[in-house]
Amino acid sequence: MSRRYDSRTTIFSPEGRLYQVEYAMEAIGNAGSAIGILAKDGVVLVGEKKVTSKLLQTSASTEKMYKVDDHVACAVAGIMSDANILINTARVQAQRYTYAYQEPMPVEQLVQSLCDTKQGYTQYGGLRPFGVSFLFAGWDKNYGFQLYMSDPSGNYSGWKAAAIGANNQAAQSMLKQDYKDEITREEAVQLALKVLSKTMDSTSLTSEKLELAEVFLTNGKVKYQVCSPEILSKLLLKSGVTQPAAEAS
Amino acid sequence: MMKIDLSGLEASAPIKGNTVDSRDEILGVPSFALPTTADFDGFQKAAVQMVKPAKGTTTLAFIFKDGVMVAADSRASMGGYISSQSVKKIIEINPYMLGTMAGGAADCQFWHRNLGIKCRLHELANKRRISVAGASKMLANILYSYRGMGLSVGTMIAGWDEKGPGLYYVDSEGGRLKGTRFSVGSGSPYAYGVLDSGYRFDMSVEEAAELARRSIYHATFRDGASGGVASVYHVGPNGWKKLSGDDVGELHYHYYPVEPTTVEQEMTEVAVA
Amino acid sequence: MESVFGLVGKDFAIVAADTSAVHSILVHKTNEDKIMLLDSHKLMGASGETGDRAQFTEYIQKNVALYQFRNGIPLTTAAAANYTRGELATALRKNPYQVNIILAGYDKEIGPSIYYIDYIASCHKLDKAAFGYGSYFALAMMDRHYRRDMTIEEAIELVDKCIIEIRSRLVVAPPNFIIKIVDKDGAREYAWRQSIKDSPVPAA
Repeated sequence: MSRRYDSRTTIFSPEGRLYQVEYAMEAIGNAGSAIGILAKDGVVLVGEKKVTSKLLQTSASTEKMYKVDDHVACAVAGIMSDANILINTARVQAQRYTYAYQEPMPVEQLVQSLCDTKQGYTQYGGLRPFGVSFLFAGWDKNYGFQLYMSDPSGNYSGWKAAAIGANNQAAQSMLKQDYKDEITREEAVQLALKVLSKTMDSTSLTSEKLELAEVFLTNGKVKYQVCSPEILSKLLLKSGVTQPAAEAS
Repeated sequence: MMKIDLSGLEASAPIKGNTVDSRDEILGVPSFALPTTADFDGFQKAAVQMVKPAKGTTTLAFIFKDGVMVAADSRASMGGYISSQSVKKIIEINPYMLGTMAGGAADCQFWHRNLGIKCRLHELANKRRISVAGASKMLANILYSYRGMGLSVGTMIAGWDEKGPGLYYVDSEGGRLKGTRFSVGSGSPYAYGVLDSGYRFDMSVEEAAELARRSIYHATFRDGASGGVASVYHVGPNGWKKLSGDDVGELHYHYYPVEPTTVEQEMTEVAVA
Repeated sequence: MESVFGLVGKDFAIVAADTSAVHSILVHKTNEDKIMLLDSHKLMGASGETGDRAQFTEYIQKNVALYQFRNGIPLTTAAAANYTRGELATALRKNPYQVNIILAGYDKEIGPSIYYIDYIASCHKLDKAAFGYGSYFALAMMDRHYRRDMTIEEAIELVDKCIIEIRSRLVVAPPNFIIKIVDKDGAREYAWRQSIKDSPVPAA
């Protein structure tokens, strides 16, 4: 029955569903998760790296966090090859905006322009939707620090704390429980690590499995900073989510 | 081995357009003679201007208490040659709106007729007549979209809409001016002189018509490219009405009758011897 | 001939322009407003070919409005100036607009500012700017009498000085001027300076 409606992205099923879009969201549910928390003095992004093999040469740069412009960064969950395309268009959009107006693109506009691209793939025939969810962290002069989450349907929304990828529902409810307004960036890092340690499958968190990036202001300028593995290890120890010795929980 | 024919690049090579090549007839290649000129663009421009009649014109329109008065001469000229003395330079767009014609006759006629169509379609779609502002803007936008492509239009759109009398000046450079008193064409400086000195807002229709007629007459008197008949239209709340069309020659003798001159010397017939 | 000029004061910006619509030797109109309100806090004074001026300024105005509708936030004056410059630059090598623009605006964080944009798409942020034949006189007057901390009264006095100088020294001086202002309370018409009335003309 559903075969008639799930093979093409452009067709609604009789129940009013777009199966291909739902399948795309399903794909993200299996991907490495990412958490974003909006603090009063910045935005924190934490992502889970899926280490598939010991032999794999992990790239020196980040693989889940991307800088889109000087004032916007994003975390990815889903098919990386799809994400690369979208990140590229986002970067182009951001530069086009600066070219036209000589000022940084407002964060929400950037998110919206990207989601317009995503939406297009849920409607035009013969194409597969992007199997990617994003967390966008950024700052602009209109609304200060912002955190947005987007999904393959092209929907996006602003959040104080959000989770995408594997186990995102559990993470989301934990964030809801523990998030408090006026949270500082430091506290937000702690919270993100704590939530991730509980929702991740792996027994203990290590810096090889994680990525941490922050967006904040230093003397009036927006800064995007990726945490080095050394500092991340220390942070993990400090927050008590990893034990110095291997210990199954 | 292939050989490239470079003969066309030689300085002595004949210019194709200027020599009638008898082979063309045999080969059946279509061709036409080009004018012998170094500045072809300039030649073409001048040629187009030459064949565009109704260049020299006097048209005017003004708003007064009872509506809009519109008047124009009727001469079409091509350079020094008067090609017509009976051109309708006031174009009836619809029963409530008039356009005047200065510049290229064809351009004016075509785009006014086109505007008439658009105004009627607007009327059908919106169940109300288009405003003068709207109609003139439509025309201005069309003309602007053809800017730099040689259109030559200087027109006034006069009419009556929901807001009362309306008058706009529109030209092919894309200009559009809202106003109460305009004159367009080569005779306009003369017309303005008479119009400005005689204008009052609270004129009666008769006074306004006479002012318009007189302005056109004086313009035709001084401007060689204007002449023929001075037509006067009035647009009021119930639409336009043609008030008069007077031969400016007759007007001249009406305004300035020939006075009998005193006979200085009378010739007497010599008696037949 | 055309005169458009403007200056930045203490907490406001002023733009003044002549109001003549001229065709060769004929003055068709002496009450044509050449300063457009771009949005609530922006003024665009323009000189140049009549058609291009009207069409281009309206095009920019509508696009600034569209931006505001789409994004819920207004463009800053700087962004609007750079956008305008960009539009002129892209048109320059296709079908150029013959327009020179003085863009004045007021932004909450930045305060008042004036941008000078000419038809060949150069853009400068200035304290005082002028275009047209009147610019020679207005610029000299402003160079001599301008201060950055002028009050509205002082600035209007300077604008009037410029207008008087243009009227008395320029051969083909326009008779009437319009003055507009933008400050924290928004962009608005401030005054007309008319030496002849267009219409209705009193009985001859």
